[in-house]
Amino acid sequence: MAKLREKVLGVDVGGTFTDFVAIEGETIRTWKRLSTPSAPENAVLTGSEKLTSGRMAHGSTVATNALLERRGPRTVLITTEGFRDLLAIRRQERPALYDLEPKRRPHVIAYSDVIPVHERIGADGKVVIPLEADEITRVVKKVAALGAEAVAICLLFSYIRPEHEIHLATALRAAGVAVSASHEVLPEHREYERASTTAINAFLQPAVRNYLSGLDAHTPSLRIMHSAGGLTDSSTSSKRPVSLVTSGPAGGVLGALAVANEAGYSEIMTFDMGGTSTDVSLCPGEPRYRSSSEIDGLAVHTPMVDIVTVGAGGGSIARIDSGGALVVGPESAGANPGPACYGKGVLPTVSDANLLLGRLRPEAALGESVIPNLDRAKEALAQLGEPATTASAVIEVANATMASALRRVSLERGYDPANFTLVAFGGAGPLHACELASEIGISKVLVPRYAGVLSAIGIATAPEVIEVSQGLLLPLNNDASDQILLTAQALEKQSIAGLEGAGGNLEKLTWAADVRYRGQAHELRVSFDKPTPTSITDSFRSTYSREYGFVSQDQSVELVTLRCRAEGNFSGLPYWKNNAVPQTDDKPTPIQLSGGVAALHANREALAPSTTLDGPAVITQPDATTFIPPGWSATVDKSMNLLVTPS
Amino acid sequence: MIESPASLAVWNTLLASTAEEMGVTLWRTGHSPNIRERKDFSCAVFNAAGELVAQAAHIPVHLGAMPESISAVSTLAPWKEGDLAIVNDPYLGGTHLPDITIVEPVFTDDQLIAFVANRAHHSDIGGMSAGSMPIATELYQEGLIIPPLKIREAGQLNEPLLALILRNVRTPTERRGDFDAQFGALKTGATRLKALAYRHGVRELARWMEALTDYTERLTRAAIESIPDGDYHADDVMESIDGTLLPIRTKLTVTGDLLTVDFTGSAGEQSSSINAVSAVTRSAVAYSVRCLLPTNAPSNAGIFRPIRLLLPESSIVNAMPQRAVSAGNVETSQRVTDVILAAFSQALGDRIPASSAGTMSNFTFGGLHPNGESFAYYETVPGGAGAGPKGRGESGIQTHMTNTANTPTESMEITFPVRVRRFELRENSGGKGLHQGGEGVIREIEFLTEANVSLVGDRRLIGPPGANGGHSGKKASNTLVSAEGLRKPVSGQQQIQIRPGDRIEVQTPGGGGWGAPPKGGHRRTAH
Repeated sequence: MAKLREKVLGVDVGGTFTDFVAIEGETIRTWKRLSTPSAPENAVLTGSEKLTSGRMAHGSTVATNALLERRGPRTVLITTEGFRDLLAIRRQERPALYDLEPKRRPHVIAYSDVIPVHERIGADGKVVIPLEADEITRVVKKVAALGAEAVAICLLFSYIRPEHEIHLATALRAAGVAVSASHEVLPEHREYERASTTAINAFLQPAVRNYLSGLDAHTPSLRIMHSAGGLTDSSTSSKRPVSLVTSGPAGGVLGALAVANEAGYSEIMTFDMGGTSTDVSLCPGEPRYRSSSEIDGLAVHTPMVDIVTVGAGGGSIARIDSGGALVVGPESAGANPGPACYGKGVLPTVSDANLLLGRLRPEAALGESVIPNLDRAKEALAQLGEPATTASAVIEVANATMASALRRVSLERGYDPANFTLVAFGGAGPLHACELASEIGISKVLVPRYAGVLSAIGIATAPEVIEVSQGLLLPLNNDASDQILLTAQALEKQSIAGLEGAGGNLEKLTWAADVRYRGQAHELRVSFDKPTPTSITDSFRSTYSREYGFVSQDQSVELVTLRCRAEGNFSGLPYWKNNAVPQTDDKPTPIQLSGGVAALHANREALAPSTTLDGPAVITQPDATTFIPPGWSATVDKSMNLLVTPS
Repeated sequence: MIESPASLAVWNTLLASTAEEMGVTLWRTGHSPNIRERKDFSCAVFNAAGELVAQAAHIPVHLGAMPESISAVSTLAPWKEGDLAIVNDPYLGGTHLPDITIVEPVFTDDQLIAFVANRAHHSDIGGMSAGSMPIATELYQEGLIIPPLKIREAGQLNEPLLALILRNVRTPTERRGDFDAQFGALKTGATRLKALAYRHGVRELARWMEALTDYTERLTRAAIESIPDGDYHADDVMESIDGTLLPIRTKLTVTGDLLTVDFTGSAGEQSSSINAVSAVTRSAVAYSVRCLLPTNAPSNAGIFRPIRLLLPESSIVNAMPQRAVSAGNVETSQRVTDVILAAFSQALGDRIPASSAGTMSNFTFGGLHPNGESFAYYETVPGGAGAGPKGRGESGIQTHMTNTANTPTESMEITFPVRVRRFELRENSGGKGLHQGGEGVIREIEFLTEANVSLVGDRRLIGPPGANGGHSGKKASNTLVSAEGLRKPVSGQQQIQIRPGDRIEVQTPGGGGWGAPPKGGHRRTAH
């Protein structure tokens, strides 16, 4: 892998802090600034160094937040007559089975802002009802009358035959309206999912465009992280803001993989535990991708790193329910009031339990935050029982929830966790990692040196990526060769043009497809070297067998969507010579964990390569704490990562 | 005193995720549109004694019925590793014939440690009409009846039995794919349980399975105890095939933490398919009570312990063998839920909403593709949810005893010779009230070939009642629109031969309103 040649600045905007990392040759520097949520670009711009050369890679939550807060312009949906309420009915399920008053989250487009169009394409791609010129004129007038600032178009079967969408989009664009057309945003089958994704794309465009053009003006080479696990330029991102919505956790996964690769591990599971939730993923050599998800009750179909999130974090609240079970989360004390030990909250949380057990050290509190108060933690936990016993129990229950997420991304997809290294990061990840590893049978835990800014590192070192797709719905036999070949050629051209148009240089072209047995409705994403019916079928059978434990030889196989991914400008991580020496010479100090257990407390910055530390021990750094349980020991590697294994 | 609140929560997570994971496999690998798109299935874990320990939140109508299928197949003991039992007999642990249950005993070192089971709605199980939801007068017309049998014995598939089943259904290839999916899902569940037994020991596993049922029992008793002691009566009606109204009557008696549910006074069993077997009625009762429990509560045998059911024999809520039952599962179960919730609302007015659509609006069709292959399809059409104390009812949503997803138009038209003409909310169909009931939908499907259609749906004569002064939601209607545009009403239980170009239009009920409507009424607002 080529190493970074030019200077690169990675910036990750979080809710509390904006993290920065500057990598130049073999030098890495990291710093943090308080985020400025009302205008996130302020923290980005004031915290950034002036770049005369190189690039700035940026991960932003601006699209995600705008969607969660439904902050956007009046957006209109244009859809086939008869399907006005596509975004209201969705897939007609209620979100919680036993909720007596089920409520769906509102979509981004209001009921009254849908324009049905008299037209129809059939399942065979034939025109059933032609789209007349008068009808186009009527729609354009109606859009103007509604005063819409953004328009989404999703017509039935447009992924097979887009011409009606094209006619409408052309007319509306000529009238000066910003249009997201479903055959451009997501040319794949299933009308609700395509309409939902297209509507969100239209809705987010203005906010994302404004934000990125503001940054662009101040940054010579701005690269934006998107959910498919790569970077692109701001103009591509402005056209496809929906691909930024699920980009948040991708940086952490890429950062974890980059650090693990540099340390000599390629098969990893990532474990990122924050204040309200935990993100986990599995990377068998590289991240796994998927193409669908649901955000705040709305379908968002766009390629993304396959991450599972569970509602367990440092702020998760513990309580005893009416049946006598200890329940932890998903309710969280969040940042406000926060865990009891931080002075405002009164309900016991996972952080209070860690503090009481001696795993969180009050003396190592992060610069600008409040020093946690042990008495408050004890008082809160005492509401549920004897504080120390309760604290251990809270940790046990939170770990069970997180372990179930790790099982889902591994066992459920046919991988044995025993073959993986657990890479732990986020403020609380390294606190729980070793116990979780034992729970699911992992024997190696890697805590990266920069566990608190790993996402910024992932963003800085991410490749340039464009992924394009086309829905096909073809039986995979030799008759399909030609159509697959033609589609593949078009996708290849489109992805390379996209990559180069955004300023990237092609280094790798990979193929994937969503495939299923004929008659199924769920596709498996499989990858292969050449887009031919045989290689796609072979890859499908072996993946299916791994994930589900059986294959059917006589059922025919169907290609649903073909995907082409163009990547370029790999960087990878250099070996950080400059920082591979201790920054202080603090010696580990003896401390007592709860129950009077003797342990050591070490400053991460003081641990030189090759140092070994046996558990129980607590290792602190400004933005994360690592707990080494009894029976485990940590070794510092040449880049000052901690490798923790059973001793 | 609970011995370990933490272990209880940990084991709840472990066993609940085992059941959920089985569901994920079944969903992703299933072939029937019912399974793959609509998630019309359930997956559950039982202890070695056959007691329900964990059931994933899929389809409530299976909640009370899954335990009975385990007792039904228990006649097949002794079990061997690699055995699989199959059953769909509604009078032996089934619900209706298309729901086929497969059970696998799970062994560790020759010791039976648990059972895993799943029940999936197959698109066709034979009988007098495609899709196996016919307008029938006796069970035999509804399809193939499978008593408890071993479909696999010690790892050896029972090929003759499989051949017999496949020869009796209209879409054998699809059935075969669904069976594979069901077997695969069971394997997922069995593997997880074996790993748990290996890691924690067989005795610990058994102990915590028992503890989880006790846990649910305590949660259920606590919920019942929150209801003031007393008798609560409610009644409503089902519509018979000839249009007469059939009472569904309940009396709930709360005494401390015990609940008695008495259906004395409900109509007698019918010579149509709207009879519910006792397992279905049990499910509806369990669902209604489960809604009062906290979200994380395991759905298991503990729910039933503090509940006593009084079901009059030969009644519409407890039909005797050989009665037709296909619609009892989907229609009568909704009404049983409606009356129980209506009775609860007298005591818990601040928690219980007005009646929801109260029907699954079952739409079944089948016929021959131009290439001679046969097709069969079944769906349930959503309606409006009842408004409640918290706000308006949701529109175009599955309520109570079902939560199946729709088949996307773009999937449906590729698979079947139909064209979906309209699938929209039915404006102003929600009952008026301080909070308005949710709107039903209008679904219109055009047939491109000849087809046989069955429509089964209640609430065609009387709309879902409002609560607390709220008005009723609009009642449902079915219409046949001929190729020439002539409209002809279709009743709530009818079978029709369709010509190419004909359309069926289904309008589903709106939910009941909650609270007295304000003067001047509401404007229709965004959804």
